[in-house]
Amino acid sequence: MASDNLGDYERVQEEGKYSLEADIPTITFTEIGKRGIRRMDGYEKASGKAIYTRDMQLPGMLYGRVLMSPYARAKILRMDTGRAEALPGVRSIMRYDDPEIEGRGLNGSYFAPGWVGRQLKRSGLVEDELEGWGLKPVRPVLGDEAWYEGQPVGVAVAADSEDIANEALRLVDMDWEELPFVLDQEEALKPDAPILRPNSDSNLLEDPRQLLEVGDVEKGFKEADRIIEFTARRNAHLWAGAEMASVLVRWRGDNLEMWLREQQPYHAKMLFAEWMDLPMNRITVHSPYMGCSFGERGNPANNPSNGMNILAALFSKRTGRPVKFLYNRNETFFGESGDMMVSYFKVGAKEDGTITAVQIKNVFAVYMCTPGIEHFIDNTRIPNLKCEAITVDVSKAAAWWDRCEQLPNTFCFTLVFDHVAAELGMDPTEVALKNDGYDSRDTTHLSKYKSEHGFPDRDSLRECIKAGKKAIGWDEKWHPPGTKKLPNGKMHGMAFTWDHAWDDVRGTGSAAILIENDGTVSIIGQQADIGVNPWTAYCQIVADELGMRYQDINIKPFDLDQGFALMSPDGSCNLCSNGIVLRKAARKAKKMLLELAAQKFEDVRPEELDTKDRIIYVKSDPKREKTIKEVVARAMPMFASAGYWSEAPVIAWAWHTHGVWGEALETGRPRLGRQSHFIEVEVDTETGTVEVSRVVNVNDVGKAVSPETVEGQMYGGSYLGVGRSLTEEMIWDGKTGVLLNRNLLDYKYATMVDYGPVDAIFLETGLGHGPYGAIGVGEATATMMPALLGPAVYNAIGHWIDDFPITPDKVLKALGKA
Amino acid sequence: MKKFSHVNALTIDEAVSILRRYGDRASLIAGGTDLLGKMKDRILSRYPEALVNLKTIPGLDFIKEENRILEIGALTRLEDIAIDQTVRGGYAALAQAANRTASPHLREMGTIGGNICQDIRCWYYRHPNNRFPCLRKGGGRCYAIEGDNRYHSIFGGSVEEGCYAVHPSDTAPALIALDAEIRTSKRTIKAGDFFQVEVTKTTVLDEDEIVTKILVPRPPENAKSGFVKFALRKTIDFPIVNCAALISSSEGKVSAARICLNAGYVKPYRASRAEEVIVGKTFNEADAEAAGSAAVSEAKPLPHNGYMVQIAKTMVKRAILACG
Repeated sequence: MASDNLGDYERVQEEGKYSLEADIPTITFTEIGKRGIRRMDGYEKASGKAIYTRDMQLPGMLYGRVLMSPYARAKILRMDTGRAEALPGVRSIMRYDDPEIEGRGLNGSYFAPGWVGRQLKRSGLVEDELEGWGLKPVRPVLGDEAWYEGQPVGVAVAADSEDIANEALRLVDMDWEELPFVLDQEEALKPDAPILRPNSDSNLLEDPRQLLEVGDVEKGFKEADRIIEFTARRNAHLWAGAEMASVLVRWRGDNLEMWLREQQPYHAKMLFAEWMDLPMNRITVHSPYMGCSFGERGNPANNPSNGMNILAALFSKRTGRPVKFLYNRNETFFGESGDMMVSYFKVGAKEDGTITAVQIKNVFAVYMCTPGIEHFIDNTRIPNLKCEAITVDVSKAAAWWDRCEQLPNTFCFTLVFDHVAAELGMDPTEVALKNDGYDSRDTTHLSKYKSEHGFPDRDSLRECIKAGKKAIGWDEKWHPPGTKKLPNGKMHGMAFTWDHAWDDVRGTGSAAILIENDGTVSIIGQQADIGVNPWTAYCQIVADELGMRYQDINIKPFDLDQGFALMSPDGSCNLCSNGIVLRKAARKAKKMLLELAAQKFEDVRPEELDTKDRIIYVKSDPKREKTIKEVVARAMPMFASAGYWSEAPVIAWAWHTHGVWGEALETGRPRLGRQSHFIEVEVDTETGTVEVSRVVNVNDVGKAVSPETVEGQMYGGSYLGVGRSLTEEMIWDGKTGVLLNRNLLDYKYATMVDYGPVDAIFLETGLGHGPYGAIGVGEATATMMPALLGPAVYNAIGHWIDDFPITPDKVLKALGKA
Repeated sequence: MKKFSHVNALTIDEAVSILRRYGDRASLIAGGTDLLGKMKDRILSRYPEALVNLKTIPGLDFIKEENRILEIGALTRLEDIAIDQTVRGGYAALAQAANRTASPHLREMGTIGGNICQDIRCWYYRHPNNRFPCLRKGGGRCYAIEGDNRYHSIFGGSVEEGCYAVHPSDTAPALIALDAEIRTSKRTIKAGDFFQVEVTKTTVLDEDEIVTKILVPRPPENAKSGFVKFALRKTIDFPIVNCAALISSSEGKVSAARICLNAGYVKPYRASRAEEVIVGKTFNEADAEAAGSAAVSEAKPLPHNGYMVQIAKTMVKRAILACG
């Protein structure tokens, strides 16, 4: 609790801490939970009037383009830019050996003292914090050596048009030395593999979390009735964004202004400032509408985020003109999902479904984020866990948290549980219930936690399973593998998976609430738009907290430099942190409003007042009332004349931190909510086609602030998630290292006609650590779906295909037909 | 950036004369759905100097049936063919093929003439910026044969040169099964003779020759036609394998059959062996399957496309059963 002894800064800090206690609602929900609310960004987006970074035009603007390496690994021996320079319309050419480029890199140091450094210290592996990500070595923004096909390298151009810039790049005359490359992470570990990094004797990347261990797996294996071993593979899929990367930069004297298509504009600004040697306060950042994100724009080693920003700024400085940098569609194909992995599993289980030990070895390609066993820690009682996760450099663009960094976890979790259930001949929903818990403890400990912290004693997993089973008709349809042929000749299969619901224990943000002097409310706080409709939910929260109406509230999310920034949904946590930020700010604003109102009522104290439906009334005598509008009519930030408008504005801000990534148990907040997912497939055994005929998603969202947004997230997640396991796959040519399917025809997202109906069922148990008991939903469904196709196909045909995506050729091979 | 002339031809003769003037430096454009992508991606080392627009030529966009001959103008869009009641009624394989081509948007742009004249599919050949100067582009090698050939020919390469790309048209096998003829500015060519496996071409057309219309004889009353397609997705995708069949029967027995596969070879692949096997049989799973097996009896799959043999076999089987 805030104490009067605290200084101003200390008070902000104190107020901003998360609580371990259940967040029991204290207000009446009027707008919160309501259906039929018009989304804040709906009209602009649906009508095509929304402006994206790529749409931005400034007078005198130039277009920047950078060369992409045509080789998987190569060094520039000679480069002649003479002909490009001579092309009319070319305004500037940046070469790798230009002095402006020197010393400017991609990876920044800002992240390292954060979680990577902390993980390292905690692990005791190193004393000092790392500089930069360990992912790939710090690289120049424009070097003379390419580490993967498609890497920006060598030369960039600023010209009067995009076409001229492209033509100029074609006119650059270059000699390359092609160098040996390696694409597969296990091949890269073999003694004869080319070593990709200079001054290194191995392609193994340093990863602080190579080993995670709980209990003693050997002991667990001894206690088991069965030992289940299998291997699985997930090929890379793409980050999958609709809007292509771009940035617009202009200098204003010593100040720089930029329009960023960034999921994390604040982080981008920090990295940018670091590499440009520019004070943070000289950078103004606009954060317009975004056509996508899916995690792609948060990667400091990802050139679109950093290299493009730096090159645009350098060109703008040189030419004195605004410069917009653009990637085209096929250039957005360089950067993979974080689950390029080969996994080796050994699991011990008892005949009754109790899992005694899980041992996983995950071999990742150019990725370091989640080892893959954390969900067993977070939401099972399994006492013995061991995960060795290693990351290997290969000649591909850096993989990242694209499309969720939890993919390795959901992959391992789903496959382990479904393999165990299959091996034991058990219903997988029973195996789930048998092992639910947290931190090697069973659900009685969860119940204890709930009662001690004011949460309802509801069994989220049991409720999720019950709802899902009913919706899909599980008890009537579930069958042993390979036993159900449908009238249409196809084999029927179904599968189930589960996990904890996320994320409700992280994120940091700030925002202000300004009550304008006409009684309407502005939420002031930048937030990157990644299409999950959070703004509507924020306005619903602020409306109910202030006793106002949804249509009275608006949000101004497009400018970073208004001083407040809401958590971008980079960390899988959006509403659960930002909802609390806004609620805190709204409560402070309401307190100020009532103080002002009390002055107007003259004979009441602020605490005797309350608000409802835009009215401030005396609680003991509700007929005594004033409209909010009349109370704030004279309260404004400025006015030029007259003492009449002399009252201070009603404006309050709050900062809140809800924890950091990857730490739930560490902060004393076990995951209480669960999710369950069911799928039905029909397998055509003559063609190997897997048709997803039905999906049922059940997410315990704790509290649905915006029910339609929850459902939209679940539908979107299902569709985008299932496609990853059916058809999405990046395919490289083994001889050249060239990505073959870098277009949206050959890279196959499933379309809206490619699978059957989706049931989006959400539960509201109040078991979340977010506002009013909320838990996240957006990312979870999409991340849960991909691995689920494996057990479904197994159930249909009786053969495991643990090689994702599960394309028809693999099915036919499993059936002995190819 | 690259400049080229764009000529709106008003007559076939004018278009032909422009083609003669430019030789192989000009390209015809109708719907443009294949050509513009190729140009934008700069997949060829040479860029056309002129585009001859056919859309401005009147009288090439029609569907009519006279004297039991279906006539379709070369500029007729695929969507119009897909929904035309006459085509759907009497020439089902063609309507179905048109309906499974690409996506609704592309079917509203792409024409039947363009669909049969489109270039081959191969992700090496079509890689942007001529990254793979393969033998089809005058280079010395086929990258697919040594690389990832999961979508390439299962019936061998083109005759001498060894290009393993596939012809991706959905309507082509339907036209061959229906025994259509292609009318051009010079002559009339049987659909079965229209496609060619030369490395630089996909058809027998001369450089100054333009397709003007398609003529499809109405199948006999005792015949049915059908089209099946295998692709990873239900829309947008080019076929991995497709198949069209026209099968006549009397008293439940097959009396005649024309079956054509596509996307499994550098040109549409007439499944003659399947035709031989199915004639005289009834419509049943086992005989249709036997015909499917016969169709792929000469398959020579590459290292990554063995599964396509099973799929081609199944497509033949299903196309036959669709005619039952």
